[in-house]
Amino acid sequence: MTLVEVSGLKKSFHGTEVIKGLDFSLERGKCIALLGPNGAGKTTTLRMLSGLMKPTSGSISFSNYGKGEDIRHLIGYLPQFPVYFDWMTAKEFLQYVGRLAGLSSREAKGRTMELLKRVGIEEATNRRIAKFSGGMKQRLGIAQALIHRPLLLMLDEPVSALDPFGRREVLELLEELKKETTILFSTHILNDAEEVCDKILFLHKGRIVESGTMEELMYRYTEAKIDFSFNQKADKYETLFAASPLVNSFKIQGDTVTVEVTNLEKARSYFLNRIAEENWSLSKFEISSMTLEDIFMKVVGNDEPVDNTITKRIG
Amino acid sequence: MMSQWITLLQKELVEMWRNFKWLWVPITFILLGVKEPLTSYYMQPILDALGGLPKGAVIKLPEPSAAEVLVEGLSSYTSIGVLIIVLTTMGIIAGERKSGVAAMILVKPVSFISYVTAKWMGGLILLVFSFFIGYLATWYYTGILFEWISFGDFLHSFLLYSLWLGLILTFTVFCSSLFLVPGTAGFISIATVLIYTLISGTLTKWMKWSPSMLTDYANQLLAGQSLPTAANPAAAITVTATIILLTLSVVVFRKKELAA
Repeated sequence: MTLVEVSGLKKSFHGTEVIKGLDFSLERGKCIALLGPNGAGKTTTLRMLSGLMKPTSGSISFSNYGKGEDIRHLIGYLPQFPVYFDWMTAKEFLQYVGRLAGLSSREAKGRTMELLKRVGIEEATNRRIAKFSGGMKQRLGIAQALIHRPLLLMLDEPVSALDPFGRREVLELLEELKKETTILFSTHILNDAEEVCDKILFLHKGRIVESGTMEELMYRYTEAKIDFSFNQKADKYETLFAASPLVNSFKIQGDTVTVEVTNLEKARSYFLNRIAEENWSLSKFEISSMTLEDIFMKVVGNDEPVDNTITKRIG
Repeated sequence: MMSQWITLLQKELVEMWRNFKWLWVPITFILLGVKEPLTSYYMQPILDALGGLPKGAVIKLPEPSAAEVLVEGLSSYTSIGVLIIVLTTMGIIAGERKSGVAAMILVKPVSFISYVTAKWMGGLILLVFSFFIGYLATWYYTGILFEWISFGDFLHSFLLYSLWLGLILTFTVFCSSLFLVPGTAGFISIATVLIYTLISGTLTKWMKWSPSMLTDYANQLLAGQSLPTAANPAAAITVTATIILLTLSVVVFRKKELAA
C-alpha cells in the first residue's frame, strides 16, 4: 500500500536546478534508503517531503490526505544536524515538542519517558541538552521525530556522524522501528542502506538513477566478474579475451584483467581449462560477484571518476 | 490550537527566565527611571559633597516640578529603553531560524501564526512588565522626594507610552522575521525608529496622529494639561499599525524557506 506518491518533483535554487524531476512512491511499512554521494540532493529531497521547502514544481501526495491538509502530523523528521534549545533538558524538549505535535500533557509526559528509554538516553533525562554529546543529540533527535507516532519517519544521514558503536546502536534501533512505521533515510554509506533497508533509491545529480529492493538490484546487475592477475603486462592477452565466448566486457589495467561474464559457472570452467592448457602466467584468479558499491558505480556512470564520498565501512 | 499557542508562549517565558531576561530587563528599567528623581533631588548635596561650587559662583539650581522629573525619567525609556527593547527582541525569530532550531520546531504541526504571535506576546509581556515596575518606581520616588502625581495620570501616561514602546517591539519582531541575521534586524529597527521620531518631531503639523506623538501627549497630561484631541486617533493608529506589522511578520515568515 502506497503511503506517499512523489511525481515530477523539481527544485531550483537561484536558477540552478538541483532536483531534476523525481518520481517515486513509498510503500507503507517499508524501510527505504535514499542513497547518493554528497551533493546528490538527498537533503533537499527530504526537506521538501517534510514541508520545510517548497518544491519548484511537482507534487508530493500522501494517501488519504487532501491537498490543503497539514501533512506535518504524519511526519517525523530528523535533520542532518539537529539543533535544540540548549537551555532545555532532554525531558523538557521532548515534552515541549510532544505538546506542539498535539499530544495532551499526560500523553507527552508518558511518551517522553518511553522514548528516552527506547533511544537509550534515559540517564540524561534531566540533563541540559547543551551538555549532550553528538551521539546523544542524534538519539534525542530520533526520539523527537517519533514523539507523535508519525506514519513516516524521515532521517537525514542519521548515522554518518556517529562512531562505530553509536552507528551500530542506531542501526539496531532502526531495525526495530521498521516494524512500526515507514522509514525513509538518506545516507552515503552503502553498508547502512544494505543492512536495514528493503528498498533503495539511488540519487545522483538530482535524479533517481536506479531503484529497487536489494535482491532486484543484485539480480539486475549481477554480471559476475572474474579477475585475472598476470605476472606481466596483460596487454598481450587482449585479443584472447576479445575472442573468448561468454565474455560481456573486459577491462585491462596494467597486469590485471577484469572480465564480466553472463554465466559464471560456464565461464569459470572454460577459463580454468584454458589456463591449464595454455599455461598462462597467472598470479591470481578470482571470482567476485557485484557489491552494492559496484552497482552504484555502474548506475552513476562508468566514466566518472571514483567519488571518494562513497565510502564503504567495515562495521 | 489554543493549547499549542500557550505551550509556545510558556516556552518563551521560561526561556527568558533561564537566560535571566526576567531579572536584568526589569532591573535596568528601574535604574533608568529612578535615576532622574534621585539625581534631581540630591544634586545640591552631591555638589556640596564634591567640594561645592567655587566661591562667588552663584548658581541657583531651580527646583524641578514633579511632572518635569517624571517626564525626564520617561524620556530615558524612549531612548535607552528602546535600545534595550530592540536588543532583546532582534533575535527572537531570526536567531532561531539561523541556528536551525526553527526548522526542528516547524516540522511539527505548529501554526506559523501561533509561532510568531506567541513570540511577540512573550516579548510584549516582558516589556510591559519591566516598563511598569520601572515607571512605578520612578513615580514612587518622585512622589516621595517631590510631589505626588495622581495615580490615574500615572496609569494613563503608562498606557500611552506602552502603546508606543509596544509598536517599536512589534516592528523589531517584524524585522527579525524579515532578516536572517539578528544584527541586521536590530540595526534596521533602531535606524527606522530614530528616523521616524525625527521626522515626526519636525513635521509636527502633519504628524498629529503619529504613534510617536503619544509620548508628547502623555507628557502634556502629566504637566497638568488636558489630553489633546489628537491622542485618541493617534492611539487608534498605533494599535492598527501594531496589528498590521504583526500580520506582516507572519506573512513574511511563512514565505521564507526555513531551511537555508
